[in-house]
Amino acid sequence: MITCKVCGNQEFHGVLFCGECGSQLAFAPDQKVDTLVYPNQIRGLNVDISNTIPKKLLEERDFILYYAESEEALDLPVQNEFSIGRLVEGQVIAPDVDLNKYEAYHLGVSRLHATIRIDPQQNKVFVIDQGSANGTFVNGYEIPANSEVPLNHGDVLTLGKFSLKVILPSEL
Amino acid sequence: MPEKTDFYRRLNIGTGASEEAIKKAYRLAVKKAHPDINKNEGATQLFLDIQEAYQVLSNPSQKDNYDSGRDPGGSTPNILTHIEYSQNALVELDESQVIYALVDILATEETQDKSNLPMNISLVVDNSTSMAGARLDMLKVAIKEIIQDLGEDDKVSLISFNDFAKVLLPSQSQPPIRQIESSVNDFFAEGGTEIYQGLETAYNEITKSMTRNYVNHIILITDGHTYGDEDSCLSLARMAAEEDIGISGMGIGIEWNDAFVDQLCALTGGQSQFVQDPKTIKDFLGQIITSLKQSDTRRVTLDMLPAPEVKVLSAFRVLPEALPLPLQDTYSLGILKKDTPHRILFEFLIDPIPGKLDRAIIASGEFTLKRTGKDLTIPFTLERKLVSDPEQLEPPIPEVIRAISHLAFYRLQEKAQHDVAVGNPGAAYQRLMNLSSHLMAKGEDALAKIAMNEAQYIKSHNNFSPTGKKELKYGTIHLMLPEKT
Repeated sequence: MITCKVCGNQEFHGVLFCGECGSQLAFAPDQKVDTLVYPNQIRGLNVDISNTIPKKLLEERDFILYYAESEEALDLPVQNEFSIGRLVEGQVIAPDVDLNKYEAYHLGVSRLHATIRIDPQQNKVFVIDQGSANGTFVNGYEIPANSEVPLNHGDVLTLGKFSLKVILPSEL
Repeated sequence: MPEKTDFYRRLNIGTGASEEAIKKAYRLAVKKAHPDINKNEGATQLFLDIQEAYQVLSNPSQKDNYDSGRDPGGSTPNILTHIEYSQNALVELDESQVIYALVDILATEETQDKSNLPMNISLVVDNSTSMAGARLDMLKVAIKEIIQDLGEDDKVSLISFNDFAKVLLPSQSQPPIRQIESSVNDFFAEGGTEIYQGLETAYNEITKSMTRNYVNHIILITDGHTYGDEDSCLSLARMAAEEDIGISGMGIGIEWNDAFVDQLCALTGGQSQFVQDPKTIKDFLGQIITSLKQSDTRRVTLDMLPAPEVKVLSAFRVLPEALPLPLQDTYSLGILKKDTPHRILFEFLIDPIPGKLDRAIIASGEFTLKRTGKDLTIPFTLERKLVSDPEQLEPPIPEVIRAISHLAFYRLQEKAQHDVAVGNPGAAYQRLMNLSSHLMAKGEDALAKIAMNEAQYIKSHNNFSPTGKKELKYGTIHLMLPEKT
């Protein structure tokens, strides 16, 4: 059997499209991440990032999350997998990225909300919702918990009500 | 050039064998030699040899050439068949695998008859209470025009039905205008919808004036559910298919039973249309008639016999009109249009394949063309070589991916319907959202929007919107048609 990378559904070898979510399973074109592409009307957040993101960051990083409200890029650790959430006193597992300074609590971000995984070989980035209370959304569409959903350049990633713009400097 | 008796020897018959005897001998020989049964070394080659012999001997013109020592030539010059697969090979696997095949048949220029075949059509119109108003008015206009436009050799009959059927216009050529007018004006909306009554009457009218040279077709126009007589309708459709009578359906509005009408049409190689706006009735009716007019060969059937370890999972007609086909041994494909191929997408499930085979037979098939003159059979074999490593597989041509992706879209909306039916609107919502994004990615913005609106509707109403279900279904079906240029 083969496993759909988007929804985890199992299909027979030779099946070309996932029967559950419709994603292409084999022979997909390589140059672009073949994934959920969303209607333009809710893409939104078309901001000019040339002045607000340090050039150095764009040169050094594969992946940037940009918060349009405060016009800044989040401070992300330099590693290929990290969790995002909000740190609460006494919490056993702390998230790698703490969003407390952005009023995360009021925006419905869970303590361990989501995980980002970067695959530098394939130049792909995935988000995994960790069973958050208020859900994770890509371009306004709720994604299922505990499964990898690819992120494209320009996508809007929303944790609860906290919206971030996905920037892949390689695509700029 | 093989020795003259060689092909006959391969089938184990004499040179004077009749067409029927050749067919029988072929069936017998194939059974014995099929590599899935005959595990001896060289069985595959034997099987292919038999196929080759039969392909020539079953074709009158090739057989003539072969008998007189000439080169039998390729497949029939008039008719082309073509097969594309989803993979260049099968994989040696200890688990089941799936492969798709697009099977095409096309009539080329020089084979076409000089003139179009005359039509023998019967219009069967639902005049139950719900048809009253714009529907029936538009229909009256459309039918009048259609009947007047028919050629002098064409035959037409007009039948109305509700709880019982009535012949408004008995089968005839070029009925006088006054008679058309008065029969159309006899439409009066009342009563229920009993499709079988209408179909049976139409079938009788058609068979009354049926000859081999006609394109026989029943056009069913309905807006409602038929109650309790679905099975009789389907067996009538099977009988009609046997006798070269096609059935096309036009469903008006949202109440009619689309799954049932689709099946009815698929059995006979007809087409099924969803008419949302009564104003478009005329266009749709004209479209059906136009496609009937273009027919070259009256009817094509396709036999598909999967190998013992193979199961046909699904069959979907892609061209000339997209429609899912109920699984059968013999598929009635309807009439063969002059310039467009018939194209069927088959999905096969193949049992685990042990190593050591060079090639695997997936299925053997045969097209039969019932022509004005002699019937013509074109056998073919679906087979693939085997590779040990999935990495060695090569991608199919884009057309195959396109067809399979559209099948996937069709299934997504089907599953969403199922989700709602079993009380899981949340799953339906997610599925339609996925469908919407895939459609958007393919540039099908209008349908993507319908899918998204429908998802939102399901979220708040826990059910499909009145029109959404059929819009989505026929929208995904119509994606199958060739790209508009």
